[in-house]
Amino acid sequence: MHKFIEQARSAVDQAELYWKRTHSITASYENNQLQEIAENDLSSVAVRVIHEGKLGSTFAVSPDQEGLVDQAKTAATHGDQATFSFAPQADYPSVEGSNPDTAGLSSENLVALCESTIDAIRTKRDDLALSVEAEVETQSLVVETTEGATGSFESAETLVSIGAPIKGAGIGVYKWGGSTRPLSTPQHLVEEFVEWYGWTEKTSTPKTGRLPVLFAPESSFLYLLPLWAGLEGGAVEKKTSPLTERLGEQILSDHLTVLEDPISPGSFGARPFDDEGVPCRKTAVVESGVLKSFLLDQRTASALGQSSTGNAAKRELFSGGTETKPSPWPIRWQITAGELPYREIIAGLDEALLIYFGMGFHSGNYPQGQFSIQAIGFHIKGGKVIGRLDNTMVSANIYEDFKNVRAVSSETGPALGFLNVLAPYVLVDSVQVAGA
Amino acid sequence: MKEKLAGIVGGLSADYADLRYEENRKTRISFKGDQLVEVATYETSGGHVRAFNAGGKAVASFSDPSRAGSMAEAVAASAAIAGGRRQKPLRLAEAPVITDTFPIRSESDLRSVSFQEKLDLTTHYNRMILGEKEIATVETNYDEFVSRRVFVNSEGTLVEYEIVLANILGFIVSKRGDVMQRVRFAFGGDADFARIRGRDEDLKQRIVFAQQLLDAEPAKAGLFPVILDPSESGLFIHEAFGHLSEADGLQNNPAFREKLQIGAPLGKPILNVYDDPSLPEHPGTYVIDDEGVLGVRTELITEGILSGRLHSRETAAEFGEPLSGNMRAVGETYTPVVRMSNIGMDPGTDTFDDMVASIDHGYYLVGAKGGQTSGDQFTFGAQWGYTIENGKLGSMVRDINMSGELFSTLQRISMVGDQTEGSERGGCGKAGQMNRLSGKDTPPIKIDQVTIGGV
Repeated sequence: MHKFIEQARSAVDQAELYWKRTHSITASYENNQLQEIAENDLSSVAVRVIHEGKLGSTFAVSPDQEGLVDQAKTAATHGDQATFSFAPQADYPSVEGSNPDTAGLSSENLVALCESTIDAIRTKRDDLALSVEAEVETQSLVVETTEGATGSFESAETLVSIGAPIKGAGIGVYKWGGSTRPLSTPQHLVEEFVEWYGWTEKTSTPKTGRLPVLFAPESSFLYLLPLWAGLEGGAVEKKTSPLTERLGEQILSDHLTVLEDPISPGSFGARPFDDEGVPCRKTAVVESGVLKSFLLDQRTASALGQSSTGNAAKRELFSGGTETKPSPWPIRWQITAGELPYREIIAGLDEALLIYFGMGFHSGNYPQGQFSIQAIGFHIKGGKVIGRLDNTMVSANIYEDFKNVRAVSSETGPALGFLNVLAPYVLVDSVQVAGA
Repeated sequence: MKEKLAGIVGGLSADYADLRYEENRKTRISFKGDQLVEVATYETSGGHVRAFNAGGKAVASFSDPSRAGSMAEAVAASAAIAGGRRQKPLRLAEAPVITDTFPIRSESDLRSVSFQEKLDLTTHYNRMILGEKEIATVETNYDEFVSRRVFVNSEGTLVEYEIVLANILGFIVSKRGDVMQRVRFAFGGDADFARIRGRDEDLKQRIVFAQQLLDAEPAKAGLFPVILDPSESGLFIHEAFGHLSEADGLQNNPAFREKLQIGAPLGKPILNVYDDPSLPEHPGTYVIDDEGVLGVRTELITEGILSGRLHSRETAAEFGEPLSGNMRAVGETYTPVVRMSNIGMDPGTDTFDDMVASIDHGYYLVGAKGGQTSGDQFTFGAQWGYTIENGKLGSMVRDINMSGELFSTLQRISMVGDQTEGSERGGCGKAGQMNRLSGKDTPPIKIDQVTIGGV
């Protein structure tokens, strides 16, 4: 127990300490050359207190910073009524922590990984301006409360990403993979990257109308962020979520099962407790298309008369960090895979789109389940990819269009970026496409 | 502190090194619905060090100031490793040595305004919206950032400067049955608190738009001529073109470098675009960047021809172009990257009425609603719009996303309005950094054809 908690006990009714320390090294190659080695050694603290029934928070670099309790107490005098308590003592699930081999990776190791990845691609194609990045991050997270929570977890993760701009276009092809173990040259990513890059040589624009769309794992955020917005406790509490009062109902196709699984040992992004010190747990969020559970933190759980689901995260849609207040967010989602390899799904399609990214998501009406994006991906005809999409918009409402999922692939992969998700390829039967 | 930092970079075995140290005070007040969900005032601090050695580059961020020396040494060593792996060494353009301080002064400086007034004003705006007809919920946030920075480099530059800004940003959510709409409001953008006070009339208007949107029809998908209002044209020129004028993105993209050589024809002669960190009362205004270089106005497009670019010292050397002073970091944990300051477009000669009269069947799009680009592809939304039929404005439309390809779209800008309007809150994401010190000043424009994606 950090001495901050002891000091806070005598000054305020309740207190919570969140303290994150990270050390990371990143090697970045651009246009096949080492552009930069970056290192971070950062510490950040968030403190919340409840004093005379009101909530206050403050932030700092270190928990030893003077006057933290008083600062938070002052904030509490202006603060809102606290409608919940900080997390109590709990037993945390056992999640494999920091692997010493991963934590010990040096800038030389990362440079070597980037170079072997570039070499592996260049043996197949030597004409690309490759961006390759390798990173290792070790993290130490402490969440303690005066109510008894004593979370402490150390992790080490490494990841590698590959990208290259498509010639004659502004967009690129990207692949990435992460692990809690040191990575060797990612052969499967290299092969898929080279194959996909080969599909970009020609452009093809489908006709405006409704078409089947195969969403690659990278693009899963397009339907999962609207789903998050509907499951998020705050929207349920305010009844602005289209899923309010729909627990137990069929909201998506029975092909879709979304599991919250943050505790699978050794998996990328696994952790024993959330950002409020509540134990993480494995639960079905959507099972065979039926809504099973909302995502709750301490505040929204209390407002809804339920218990936290361990989903508090210092995240907002496109930002996050220690200075962001906790709110419900997917910790680590996994969508259950299906039977068919995605190449076989493609082979069975007369005309369709394969999408791996969408631009302009955040300007859509996602809280209501909608997205309207410029589709980045490929045009499929006669069971084959015939070219990359050009000037093609795709619009959908997940609560209508994702009721008709025709297939889910046997492969799973990570979503792009900030959402910690393992998803299969998902084939939606009929989606509005605006093209030529 | 500054002498100590100067000693660290001066004594480093590197071809070049610099160090920036920041002490940042932030104030946040946030309402969600009628709940005051956050009140916080706090300070953070930290530093960032960069080194160039043997043609290679390394950078590091650190929280603990006692680690400045050891981090600087690690960075110098990493830069040498990086240099050994490059065929083409990185270089820095020559920059004047500056020793000066650049404080921010404003008539109603937000630093002289009490916390209570800030809280009361935020509460007032939030209450104005709640309780109005068909308003489902509201978010109102007051956000203040006061940054004191020291920058030193191994060439002798030693500057102290400030960044001071605040704004109120909120979202009004209206709802009827299954239809829900979101309208944004933003006041402020710099150190002047007077710009945040007394905005009731502006806010009332936004509430009305949110209510009217419930009666609007969704926009139809397809290809249309459009007029973009200044907020939307500012977003377009910032997102679609502005990011491609940032040389760090272009540096390692051979195809785009080829396409975007100075002198390349990009649009009709009515198109004139610039970046200007000295525009008064705009969110992207500053004197010196986070690389110790003074910010200057850069003409980006002159009479339709590409005429300039935004640079760091590294990219200015790489491209053989003049320094522009556009290297900026949003906070102590970040490395500076090349970013726009205030991007603007010179006004043209067309009145709004003439622009509407020139369209048979199209849309007038209003209010920036987030955008995204990747190379020459862009997509962004509008908060609402109106149909244009036979040269006349028609009914209101909602759920609008437009997209296209930059180069053909720039060529299709056929009319430029005769009055510009500035933005009140910056907000630009790049390299994981959300920059609020980013402004716009643009007239309405007509684009002969874009793709509208309806829902």
